[in-house]
Amino acid sequence: MTLSVENLEFKYGRDPVLRGVTVEARPGRITALIGPNAAGKSTLLRCLTGSLRPSRGQVLIDGQISHRASARWLAGRMAYVPQRAVVAAAFTTQQVIELGRYALPPAPHAVLEVMGELELLSIADRPFTRISVGQQQRVILARSLVQLADDGHLALDEPTSAMDLKHAHAAVTALRRRAARGATIILALHDLGVAADIADDVWLLHEGRLVAAGTTRVVMTPVHLARVFGVSFTMVNDAAGRARLFSNPAESTPTTIPLP
Amino acid sequence: MALRLLVYRSPIGLQLEFGWPAEGAVRYRVTAVVVGATVGAALGISGTLLQALLRNPLAEPFILGISSGAGLGVMAAMFAVHQLGLTGWIADAYTLPAIIGGLATLAVVYGLGQRRGLLDPVSLVLVGVIVSSICGAGIMFFQHAVTTGLRSEFTLWLMGHIPQTVSPWTLGFTVGLTLLAAAWACRMGGAMDVGTFGDDEARSVGLRLGRVRFLMFALAGTLAATTVAVAGPIGFVGLVCPHAARLVLGPRHGALVVGAALAGIIMVVGADVARQGIHLGTGRMPIGIFTAFIGGPAFIALLLTGRGRS
Repeated sequence: MTLSVENLEFKYGRDPVLRGVTVEARPGRITALIGPNAAGKSTLLRCLTGSLRPSRGQVLIDGQISHRASARWLAGRMAYVPQRAVVAAAFTTQQVIELGRYALPPAPHAVLEVMGELELLSIADRPFTRISVGQQQRVILARSLVQLADDGHLALDEPTSAMDLKHAHAAVTALRRRAARGATIILALHDLGVAADIADDVWLLHEGRLVAAGTTRVVMTPVHLARVFGVSFTMVNDAAGRARLFSNPAESTPTTIPLP
Repeated sequence: MALRLLVYRSPIGLQLEFGWPAEGAVRYRVTAVVVGATVGAALGISGTLLQALLRNPLAEPFILGISSGAGLGVMAAMFAVHQLGLTGWIADAYTLPAIIGGLATLAVVYGLGQRRGLLDPVSLVLVGVIVSSICGAGIMFFQHAVTTGLRSEFTLWLMGHIPQTVSPWTLGFTVGLTLLAAAWACRMGGAMDVGTFGDDEARSVGLRLGRVRFLMFALAGTLAATTVAVAGPIGFVGLVCPHAARLVLGPRHGALVVGAALAGIIMVVGADVARQGIHLGTGRMPIGIFTAFIGGPAFIALLLTGRGRS
């Protein structure tokens, strides 16, 4: 139910990647982890899942230190979606999803339910290695969802980056549904528009440091974004009173961020 | 008919002879069938373990240098036996040196095949090929260092052969190890399934790969090294049999272990039976040539069809 990061530091060799990150995720909410390239987003996610051992500090999942917790216990509390999945065998998509329950009791109904939710039933028997990257992302998301407990935690690294619009929407809807049931969901995203659309909360990382954390409206301000991304933004309210951030087209590809 | 094929043996010469062997020879052929079945099963299981854990469908004991390391161990032992004039049981006890050679090679490959503390399948295969070449040079050294008569004995052994006599201890150890390995590998089928995921993903669904991978490597190495001690280096069985089983049984490793073991038995015993009937006036053809004739084209087919790409 609780996920807290305490003074986390991580180094690849001598290069510091995370520096003194302290933050807490709120259950029942979707948190977007944003920042420029090499800010430490993926590394922070891997520390959350216990895959990386921090050089200092710790991640506590329901009171247990993540990198010391047993893999079986952790599987019941934290699911993970990598940026690019590896499945080096000719498993069908359904078999890959079923392996999400490897350390947990089998749940065939949950598998079929999630496959229906993410529109995967029509490719249930296709080999995972022979479907498109976008379809693979949906399969790996489904694998994590059959693993996820109602009050569990889910870390995702760019989960919708290769999905088409319709299936990205289905994926986001599925995540919102899990958050509504009490799950804690943290996604690393490079697309600020998607982050603002999906997230309740945002963690803003820059050069391994946490610059800001809080609700989307509090963190995604022109000041914060300009400081971290080096691009100026203008906030404009449309006729209906909805706020939008527009990037300066002279400094970046034109970007519009609809704020909640 | 099957029994006739398993035990028949043609005499040295150009003439094929179908039928029962002489009364005293049946025992030798039965021994050869048992040894061949054990070697085939062990290589099939070893290849299945390695392909799963390296996430590389082209992995097998040869590629990782295990067979060369075990072969070097056996060669060194044979050389020592010859130089010291040893006789008795110790002159045939090659299992231990093979296991030492095979596992030492595997330890080196395992140690050098890691990046940032994680086993890297690509680095592992590259290091395996290099270490295998170094062991090959060691084998050539021993071949060079002995008399011509012993050199031809070494050469024959290096081509792979299924012996018709073997000490009860060696046979018992090899059969027992193979049966235990088969049972354990079947039990670990689910872990091997998850082992085909990336390390982070495997951990996230509940499997810490490091420990399991180490144990399975040790088992795969010991199995392969034991077969080298008994029958010399027999190539391609560990590569082809898991793929043959996969075509029939699918990718689940629990069933795949059994299927690959059965495919290994069929391939090695079948090749040993076939070679009994073919000789060109220079003795019976070594079994390694048969397995290479089957495995080589299969290897190329795997590459061409894309099954060899992970």
